[in-house]
Amino acid sequence: MLPLETLLSWGLVALFCTLLTWITARYIWNTSQAERRAIHLMKEILTPQELRQLFWRGYVDIPSTLAPQRVYRVPRSEGYVQVRENGHTIMGLCLQPIERLPRADIVILHKLMIEAQEEFYLQTANKFRYFDI
Amino acid sequence: MGVLRVLSRRGDDHITWDEQKLPMNDPETMAAVREAEKIFAATRAKGATAFRIDEGKPVQRIDQFDPTAQQILMVPRVVGG
Repeated sequence: MLPLETLLSWGLVALFCTLLTWITARYIWNTSQAERRAIHLMKEILTPQELRQLFWRGYVDIPSTLAPQRVYRVPRSEGYVQVRENGHTIMGLCLQPIERLPRADIVILHKLMIEAQEEFYLQTANKFRYFDI
Repeated sequence: MGVLRVLSRRGDDHITWDEQKLPMNDPETMAAVREAEKIFAATRAKGATAFRIDEGKPVQRIDQFDPTAQQILMVPRVVGG
């Protein structure tokens, strides 16, 4: 009787592991597909200069439509947006979509909002002081 | 081609139509436009923002669906993080 119980237990463990692997693989596959689509879209929306900057420096500078000396530095990876004036960071901004998006789509979101509705963007974002060292 | 894109966790969902065939009232084009209009309204109702992107022109925020746009991109509602 004991070997049968052991066999059943190991069978259950194997089943659980297989299920977990399948769920993880499916999640990774879906995420990577979404990221690929988002990167493809980003290549359409960003200018070649912006893409180069994003690739080599890890951020993209979006010029302000309200203040000519101001740029918004949007990072490629997770992090806040830096508001820079005359080459110095004066403020950090944190703003995020309510739905989870691929990282490349978040870069697009920041660019569009800054270019088309900067005032709303500034009103909505949480601001914090930033000391440029 | 006109395109409506909705950013989501899947990357983006999109629907296209041929804006050249709009004046001819082409049934296939009109059906695609109607569908895009429905998606636009439903996504806006969830709080999304729509941007009109036409080549060589500044990006524009829009509240009404416009089938003559080259590309309409919708982003989910945003909040301060």
